[in-house]
Amino acid sequence: MTTPIPRVMVPGSVRKNEVFTVKAIIQHQMETGLRTDSAGKTIPRKIINQFVCRYGGLEVFRTDLHEAVSANPFLEFQLLATENGRLEFSWREDGGATYSLFHDILVT
Amino acid sequence: MSLTRRHMLASTIGTAACAVALLAPKHTRGADEVEDFLLRLTGRKATPSNRLRLVMPAEFSTGYTVPMSISVDSPMTEADHVKSVRVFAPKNPLVEVVQFHFVPGRSLPRVSTRVRLAAPQHVLALAEMSDGSLLMAKAWVAVATNGCL
Repeated sequence: MTTPIPRVMVPGSVRKNEVFTVKAIIQHQMETGLRTDSAGKTIPRKIINQFVCRYGGLEVFRTDLHEAVSANPFLEFQLLATENGRLEFSWREDGGATYSLFHDILVT
Repeated sequence: MSLTRRHMLASTIGTAACAVALLAPKHTRGADEVEDFLLRLTGRKATPSNRLRLVMPAEFSTGYTVPMSISVDSPMTEADHVKSVRVFAPKNPLVEVVQFHFVPGRSLPRVSTRVRLAAPQHVLALAEMSDGSLLMAKAWVAVATNGCL
């Protein structure tokens, strides 16, 4: 399997107290554990099971993902611009690996 | 009693009324099924509400990536906010789809993603509010292919 590559789209600057949209996607197979290989053996489940967005160190949005989320899981959500700070995004994979990104946002 | 046209008409209407009466509960049974499913799952009663909107295409060519948008009308204050929204696909081999958690004053209860559906079905959304109430919404989605493989 290829290494999951996370990507986010966030505006560089936002007005204070305005709402802004975040788009987050990670390239990932989201293997459900329901498939079998050519030998009839079950392919073990390996999905991204959690996505967390922190803003200035505080958790502001979280998603628990199950098998029914499509491959290359995509999330679009909305946050309130409260202060200048760092947005951190992390995706947790079955088995404990996490993939992270951060993005500094300017609030004017 | 002779069988007149009037009698015939009356009895036909009567039969039709019976048929309607027989069909009607079936319809409401469908709605009950959804509520029963959620009741069994959560152990609590959910109220159908138009404050919670689950937007999905009524027909979609593939079950692998069905777009889904959710929004809830809420002031998102400490006193009155949406804690989380869960989504279920009752006809999928694994019924739980996704759960979103929101934070009052920081995130808005509006989110989009893409999901897999195994068969044409009613997809259900369940919002848990800060006062403990549960809101429910459903959307019928007819997928042409099984997306759960």
